[in-house]
Amino acid sequence: MKALRLHREMDAIWRTEPGWRGALRSVNHSDMGKRFIVAAFVFFSIGGVLAMLIRAQLATPHSAFVGPEVYNQLFTMHGSIMMFLFAIPMFEGLAMYLLPKMLGARDMAYPRLSALGWWCYLFGGTILIVAMLAGVAPDAGWFLYPPLSGKQWTPGINSDVWLLGITFVEVSAMCAAIEIAVSILKLRAAGMRLDRMPLFAWYLLATAGMMIFGFPPLILGSILLEVERAFGWPFYTPALGGSPLLWQHLFWLFGHPEVYIIFLPAAGAVSTILPVMARTRILGYGALVAAVMAMAFLSFGLWVHHMFTTGIPHMALGFFSAASTMVAIPTAVQIFAWLGTLWSGRPQLKLPMLYLIGFFIVFVLGGLTGVMLAVVPFDAQAHDTAFVTAHLHYVLVGGFVFPMLAAAYYWLPHFTGRGRVMRLGEAAFWLIFVGFNLTFFMMHLTGLLGMPRRIDTYSADMGWTWLNLLSSVGSFVMAFGFALFAIDVGLQIWLGRRYRRNPWQAGTLEWAMLTPAPSYNFASLPTVASRDPVADTPDLCVRLARGEGWLGEARHGWRETLAVDMVTGEPEHIAILPHNSWLPIAMAATLGGFFLAMLAGLYVVAPLFLIGVAAIGWHWGWTQGRRDDVGTVPAAGDRCLPTAYEASGTTGWWGSIFALIASATLFTSLLFGYAFLWTVAPNWPPPDVISPTWWQPMLALAGAGAALAAMRRDAAAPALALAGQVALLAALVGLLAFALPAPTTHAYAATSAAVAAYALFHVGIAVLMLAFLRARIRAGYVGGARRNEPRIVRLWNDHAAGAGVVAMLVLAIPGWLA
Amino acid sequence: MTALVRMSAGLIVWAVTFCVLYGLHGVGCTAGWPSTPLTGWIDLHRAILAAAWLAGIAAGVAVVLAFRAPRPTLIARTGWRLAWVGLIATMATGLPILVLPACL
Repeated sequence: MKALRLHREMDAIWRTEPGWRGALRSVNHSDMGKRFIVAAFVFFSIGGVLAMLIRAQLATPHSAFVGPEVYNQLFTMHGSIMMFLFAIPMFEGLAMYLLPKMLGARDMAYPRLSALGWWCYLFGGTILIVAMLAGVAPDAGWFLYPPLSGKQWTPGINSDVWLLGITFVEVSAMCAAIEIAVSILKLRAAGMRLDRMPLFAWYLLATAGMMIFGFPPLILGSILLEVERAFGWPFYTPALGGSPLLWQHLFWLFGHPEVYIIFLPAAGAVSTILPVMARTRILGYGALVAAVMAMAFLSFGLWVHHMFTTGIPHMALGFFSAASTMVAIPTAVQIFAWLGTLWSGRPQLKLPMLYLIGFFIVFVLGGLTGVMLAVVPFDAQAHDTAFVTAHLHYVLVGGFVFPMLAAAYYWLPHFTGRGRVMRLGEAAFWLIFVGFNLTFFMMHLTGLLGMPRRIDTYSADMGWTWLNLLSSVGSFVMAFGFALFAIDVGLQIWLGRRYRRNPWQAGTLEWAMLTPAPSYNFASLPTVASRDPVADTPDLCVRLARGEGWLGEARHGWRETLAVDMVTGEPEHIAILPHNSWLPIAMAATLGGFFLAMLAGLYVVAPLFLIGVAAIGWHWGWTQGRRDDVGTVPAAGDRCLPTAYEASGTTGWWGSIFALIASATLFTSLLFGYAFLWTVAPNWPPPDVISPTWWQPMLALAGAGAALAAMRRDAAAPALALAGQVALLAALVGLLAFALPAPTTHAYAATSAAVAAYALFHVGIAVLMLAFLRARIRAGYVGGARRNEPRIVRLWNDHAAGAGVVAMLVLAIPGWLA
Repeated sequence: MTALVRMSAGLIVWAVTFCVLYGLHGVGCTAGWPSTPLTGWIDLHRAILAAAWLAGIAAGVAVVLAFRAPRPTLIARTGWRLAWVGLIATMATGLPILVLPACL
């Protein structure tokens, strides 16, 4: 009876409201996870239909199925949808749904940020699909190389749709990355040391770290290309000192880690499912953690292997070729650890295992062709042929889609609480497996026979006809397989019988709850003493439901979960999470207004939406916090903990750290671009550099120094810091207005203005945050033991001061030297 | 967080060495360092790159040595493994300095 009462009380606090109100206001991680997964599958279906149209066009020589204009849109949208609207959101959804449950928490670290990410993803993806239906979809390839994507060769809005729509979706990805990292590091069960974490969490932690470093270069590249298209700043125009190679660097700085960003979460699912299917424990937990970390780092040294044929000197290619071949080693460590696990266990050929076998075969083949392409002479021959298309599909379908299908069948009983209806999943597997290999194995051969990628037609005497026809037949067989999978899942959701909890006898914490999961996950939170807590304590689910763990009491309407020490898992404080809210959808809609205004060329209107974003952001921050101290509150038995209002090292602080790391990465990429153009691009040195100036740098140094010193002395007295940041702002505006040449004249002036704009943006944020902090202090939200907000604002203040000074020096030095 | 950064020290050394080598290579080609011969087949460019590479290897060795103490926890053991990964990766990454033309 106690469990039932607790369930009712907890659900009243955590549940999503019914109807449309709930659909628009929910911030619950299970809701968000499911929405991401369903939407990603819808986008996958759209991308799949586009693939079938591509294969219909290529099935025969001289096909008149579609013309080249439409064909260009088909393959561009297919790639863009699959990479940005399917793969990343799919694993984000799985992570959002599973991570808190696996880690023994009640939600992610920032539920409203999850919801914001969801709406940004939905709105951004919708912009792309609507553009496609209107016939103005992007058509310059999924990596949108200039000059083809520039204003001269793509004068319509096609490229703008990609740049703005994808950047909008990337807001979602950055939200997810920060949230995943902080949730894994801070919101775990008591006693869940880092070395007791489920491997899925290790994989997602590495992935989130890679996203934090990998996405900013693409966001920067996209902003620069959109600014070039909209305002004529010549970042990528060689005649004015720009370089299309800068885009390639920025794109692939994101694009190659992206492959591993997609693979690692899927590998995390493999590492979770495989030992359960083999009825044993994973072999080489430590080696797998090391391999994951090695991949996360080494994959950032690979990006130029997409640029082997651009004329980069041989020695530089050698650096990247070495890294490209080395990354195969940690991949192989994982493969052997998985094989060893199978060897040491008693594998059962259940449906998830069938898909894992498909993963092994397809992914290993893709990895081997990857090693071939990492070798410069071979790549020079195979570059831009169908061989590369075949390779990337073997890697991505083998390394992501097959594991995700295994994950779908493995965790579906958790989502639905139901069992399978018919054995359609096996038939779906064989159709997908055979269809996939028929499609893409043939493309290795057409590629080696010289068939280029992205061509819309070919002549019969090239000798590619039968291979292409087989590829097309295979693609349709594969499509039938996916349709069967969708039917199978639908049948289980709507017609499946109620099924027993933990049907696989797994040991991880997500199975220590009712299925489908209640809104609050755990009525009380577990204490963990091993990597398989459910296997060690079979009645854990019942004990937690009775409230025999941490925070087993519904009080004050608080959404409570435990925040722990990152390494030891020792409980530190109680995080109190926000309730359902209109703010995420309002913020996403306002951001959407900004992107649509940019798309429509309404450049005067667009900033108004940014003012709206700032206003909503202000309100977002204001709705948190308290005007009085709470002190410590009971957490478990006699143990009392402080709440997040009065603790240090909170999720808000760590989220700011990761956000600033991402921002600093973007700034570093911009400085790399500045140095790259200066040393490599044609038509340098520029005809006109910055005027020698002293007053702006001096004012900037004084302002930044005052801001830093003031916050260091007393972060809860921000008036002087505010004055310092305003002085820094004035110095940067002065530099832009009086010293720098016009940004449209040369890439030097354009990149200089971009550097100044970055600093201005951050100083502007710091000014806003300091003003916010002042208002909060006056309103009584800061005082007593409540010192968290000044700590967070100090981080942003210090970053803005540092960025302002660095930008000022970088910009002023050419003038002084001249 | 410090524990995670310490655990990744070997890989951070590799990443820094990689960036320094690639950056110096680009700057050297632009500044014409290969046209300044020093001795035999070694020119200014190759010498500077080799020095940076050796510095990276030395830093990698230092990280390996720092992890040679008893390793009671998984995080420390992983740090030791990654120190070796970083060192080997640093050595392999710089090998083209010995054999390939610099700016062709």
